[in-house]
Amino acid sequence: MADITKALNLDELASKESPIHNLDGRIKLISTVFIIVVAAFSNNIFIPIILEIFLLIVLKIAKLSYADSFKRLALLLPFGGAIIIFQPFIHPGNVLWSYSWITITDTGLNWAILLITRMITSLTAIVILSSTSPMQQIVASFRRLKMPKDLAMILSIMVRFLFVFIDELAAIRKSQKSRNFHIHSKLTPYKWRVKQVGYAVAMMFVKSYEQGERVYKSMISRGFSDESDLFNEKTSLEKSDYIYIITIIILVVILEIILIKYSANLGYFGQNLSIN
Amino acid sequence: MHIPDGFIPFWQCIIYYIILIVALYFASKWARENLDEKRIPLLAVLAAGIFAIMSMNIPIPFGTSGHMVGGALVAIIFCAPEAAILVFTVVLLIQALVFGDGGITVLGANVLNMAIIGGCTGLYTFKALKDKIGIYASAGIGAWLATVLAALACALEMAAAGTFPLSVGVPSMVLYHVFIGIIEAVLTVIVIMALNKFRPDLLVWNKNKIEGGE
Repeated sequence: MADITKALNLDELASKESPIHNLDGRIKLISTVFIIVVAAFSNNIFIPIILEIFLLIVLKIAKLSYADSFKRLALLLPFGGAIIIFQPFIHPGNVLWSYSWITITDTGLNWAILLITRMITSLTAIVILSSTSPMQQIVASFRRLKMPKDLAMILSIMVRFLFVFIDELAAIRKSQKSRNFHIHSKLTPYKWRVKQVGYAVAMMFVKSYEQGERVYKSMISRGFSDESDLFNEKTSLEKSDYIYIITIIILVVILEIILIKYSANLGYFGQNLSIN
Repeated sequence: MHIPDGFIPFWQCIIYYIILIVALYFASKWARENLDEKRIPLLAVLAAGIFAIMSMNIPIPFGTSGHMVGGALVAIIFCAPEAAILVFTVVLLIQALVFGDGGITVLGANVLNMAIIGGCTGLYTFKALKDKIGIYASAGIGAWLATVLAALACALEMAAAGTFPLSVGVPSMVLYHVFIGIIEAVLTVIVIMALNKFRPDLLVWNKNKIEGGE
């Protein structure tokens, strides 16, 4: 799981200025989800690859560094990557290569290629969303898109307090480090190390629970009740918002048409590589 | 244990989302009845804390590190899997959208594994064994079983999706989590011990005792 202490840099990055940063939060959220849905359920690599190229152009317009974005992407690959790595070896199909009991099949290899393309495109969309929209903007967009009230409020308040606990976590790490504590240090018994981590987890739990109670009391004393709702800033969509979302929709429609009409000309790119 | 986007086909994602929506409906109903106005700030700040807990490195032998899930912990402390469902839905949503852990199309499946299956297994095992073997042992077994069953569910979903055949997925996922589960169990027990010592009023079973005594 990604290190949440990075969230501070992320929010700083997301508060910069660029045509993409200035788009309405709802548009950014909807377009990200739309791109992910199209890429994640695509049966060929043509659509995810073209969308990835489109996202790389968006990355440029958003004035984000390619190197940093790729670094973030690389850190997100491990879990999915670990599963993908096995794919060429475990699916029945025509054998491409074999060495004693290890065999690579074409079906498995194609499926692995499809999965990695889907995953990279989805993650690029997430990297762009999170580096161009501050977390508060993302949650506010959920609220304005009519997420159920309870869930929307829990989400908004959670994001607000996330930063408090990121500081808390950083403080715990710093104090552990200053006492030479390391979770893999061989100088202390393993049991002792687990116990120390357990105490830190317990402290974090108690702190968050007590903070929750304090927040509740302070909200009550300011007139919070069951009927309270969060204030939604009213902003209307601008021309650039419409242009952005319409470009994405038209792009996807064109890609689908190309795929249906010219799939034979696309060769490997247009092939159905899915096994489910 | 976070399944990423693209690993589960469309129709299965829809099924998991339907399960998620039904679960959220009952969870909000539970929160409204049991936590009243307090539910929003309490669960929200707790979710932020769980978020931080989930990103703490925990030591695993052989030099690797892992992360705690905590689904069973939340369910046991509130004595309700509904609390875990609400907390994990918001945590996993932000993890998917901001941190790229898990995914937005597979949110339903991830909540199902970690909160619904993890929370229910943890809590009901705990409840069933509490009076026989004591609070700590039963919480530990609950948390361990929750981790193993959540991993099993994850392997079964991957198999249903055609991504990982049962013969490979189940043994590897389950075997790995049989070990990880032990650490999750130990940490869960330490947290509950600490709560019992410093804030016994937070634990539902103590609450009943206090109220019963008055």
